[in-house]
Amino acid sequence: MIEVQNLVRTFNSGDRTIKPVNDVSFVLEQGTLASIVGKSGSGKSTLLSLLGALDKPTSGDVVVNGVSLAGMPDAKLTEYRRRDIGFVFQQFNLIPNLSAVDNVMLPMEFAGVRKAARAQRAGELLEQVQLDPSKHGRRINRLSGGEQQRVAIARALANEPKLILADEPTGNLDEQTGDHIIELLSSLSRDHATTILVVTHDRALANKTDRRFRLQQGKLTEEPVRGRAVAANV
Amino acid sequence: MSVLARSVGNAFRNKVRTAAVVAVLAVAIGLALAMLVANQAVGAKVQELNASVGTVLTVNPAGGQGFEGGGEPLTTDQATTAAGVPNVSAVVGTSSLRLRNAAEAAAQAAAQTGQTGQTGPGGQAGQGGPGAQAAATLTTSLTAAVDAGTLGNRNQQANGTAGAAGTTQQPVRSLPITATGIGAGVDTTGKALNITQGSGLGDYTAASTAALLGTTLAEKNNLTVGSTFTINDQTYTVSGLFDAGTTFGNNAVFVTLPSAQALAGTPGELSSMIVTVNSMDNVATTKTALQTALGADKADVTQGQNLQTAVSSLDSVKNISFIAFVAALGTAGLIILLIMVMLVRERRREIGVLKAIGAPNRTIGLQFVLEALVLAALGSAVGAAIASFASGGIASALISSNTTTTTATTGRGFPGGQGGPFGGASQLLNSVTATASPGVIAGGIAAVFGVAIIGALVPALLTARIRPIEVLRGE
Ligand SMILES: Nc1ncnc2c1ncn2[C@@H]1O[C@H](COP(=O)(O)OP(=O)(O)OP(=O)(O)O)[C@@H](O)[C@H]1O
Ligand SMILES: [Mg+2]
Repeated sequence: MIEVQNLVRTFNSGDRTIKPVNDVSFVLEQGTLASIVGKSGSGKSTLLSLLGALDKPTSGDVVVNGVSLAGMPDAKLTEYRRRDIGFVFQQFNLIPNLSAVDNVMLPMEFAGVRKAARAQRAGELLEQVQLDPSKHGRRINRLSGGEQQRVAIARALANEPKLILADEPTGNLDEQTGDHIIELLSSLSRDHATTILVVTHDRALANKTDRRFRLQQGKLTEEPVRGRAVAANV
Repeated sequence: MSVLARSVGNAFRNKVRTAAVVAVLAVAIGLALAMLVANQAVGAKVQELNASVGTVLTVNPAGGQGFEGGGEPLTTDQATTAAGVPNVSAVVGTSSLRLRNAAEAAAQAAAQTGQTGQTGPGGQAGQGGPGAQAAATLTTSLTAAVDAGTLGNRNQQANGTAGAAGTTQQPVRSLPITATGIGAGVDTTGKALNITQGSGLGDYTAASTAALLGTTLAEKNNLTVGSTFTINDQTYTVSGLFDAGTTFGNNAVFVTLPSAQALAGTPGELSSMIVTVNSMDNVATTKTALQTALGADKADVTQGQNLQTAVSSLDSVKNISFIAFVAALGTAGLIILLIMVMLVRERRREIGVLKAIGAPNRTIGLQFVLEALVLAALGSAVGAAIASFASGGIASALISSNTTTTTATTGRGFPGGQGGPFGGASQLLNSVTATASPGVIAGGIAAVFGVAIIGALVPALLTARIRPIEVLRGE
């Protein structure tokens, strides 16, 4: 379970301050698949980085399974990112001179997984995201954008995180592959009780999630998902 | 993929830049290693020279100028006087002879008119062997083991000034051989002779036809223990071979003192005296006492000064080479520091990615230190190759440039006959062989790695300050 309490993040750009995240609160039960929509520049990535402990809020707190991120020492935050979070970056952020498999193996290496087990799991994950086996050993900078996106998703799943934060995970994929990724994420939330928060412009994806939020002028509001009732606990 | 594998991979990420960095590092490391090798070689030589300077004083006739000398020769009576001076533990008289190959001398005498001015001053300088002043020239069946041309050239630089003072000789093809009659089993610097084969001359104060030959001279003439040769038609038997440690020193013959005096026709006269003082502490006072006892107008007492000059010039070479070693090492460390700082800045975003996916700070730091060590290892490999080719040249360049200045300023000041010991000293200088021993190279490379780690630590610590949010920033 993840509880977001009065989260604020402000930036100073020049002489004016912008508040892409301005007093945001919500609760996600374990195993929920939720989406955030909103205009470009509305602060979606900023919010996700706060939940993933990449950035620290100006005020407010994120409580994960009863543990508050505010005031957590850096080493603990690193451990939180390594063990509990799978982050799919909007810009993929893979290590360009490593192969697809090596990139997926990295988080497992940091978590102390043995080499043989790492290699096996990395191969399986890349198959799950439908990356052609001939490209598993290929260097990242020789893969297409969509291929890189799927490697980034595989990497986020590596340590079986409890919370997956995915920033536009289908943005570079064709419809069919995108659908497959959506199916993969839904099955994770269904079968493994993984909480998943996806930022997306993709209506199809947004409509397949359990809950849908809109971020607008720093405020988060919940919208009804077509065919589903609006959850009470916003 | 381990941290090490990633570091190696990263080190070769930009191959052109890696090659450039390795090349620059190799120059710095190569220079550091060459300086270390030179420093070690010179240090060993300084020790050797210091040991030989020791407690020995040399007494030469006073007032002599240049090679031929000019003063009254020393006498055995003076040796007795010297032995009576307090703290003197031994006095050994020497009588120097210069031997020319009989056949060559005859041939040369015939052709002399056509050959004047054949050799330059430097060619003569080498003749300034131990105790060579006022030496009588005799003929021998021996052929010198040192070629005048090469030794002349070699000594020209180091010994030019001293040589010029003694240039009154006719041109020669090969160097004269130094024969020294000696009153004990020591060389002209008072060091015990290093007999490598056979035995010494027994009683050095009695006339005999036994002789000691330098190893190279014996080899050149195909002589061994028991062989015979002649000096002025007198047959001598080789009783032993000695190794003086220098080419010049080995081109010499030792006979007993009375034999040499008889050959020179100067019984009772000495070319020099080697006075041993009972302890290092008494050397200075004994020197003064000895000078007073013998009279300043009759004798010059010197305390292996030429060797001391050599030692002090070598000492400065040693210091220079050490400073250069440290400086080159520091440069290598600085190169690594700068390149790693650059790499950390360049890979800021990537470091953010590693942190965002949960890499601990020490893993990232270690990765950068290892990458620096990969560069240092490549630089060391190339640098060691450079050093092994260059260190000999660098060492001798250091030594010759340094001793040239010292001899130029001090060489002329020595009273008569100093060409002798000085010739020996410069031979010693030239014989500093800077061989890149594996131990020294290994020690130097260990130092390089130490410096590389220090140099890489700063940028590695910088990575700890990069925050994971960097991943969201544009390039
Ligand atoms: N480090 C920063 N300093 C100043 N302003 C920032 C910084 N990071 C983000 N912003 C600003 O905050 C706002 C929200 O940015 P954010 O990246 O969260 O938008 P987004 O909703 O993810 O947009 P998109 O859909 O285009 O990815 C933007 O106006 C952006 O310019
Ligand atoms: Mg964004």
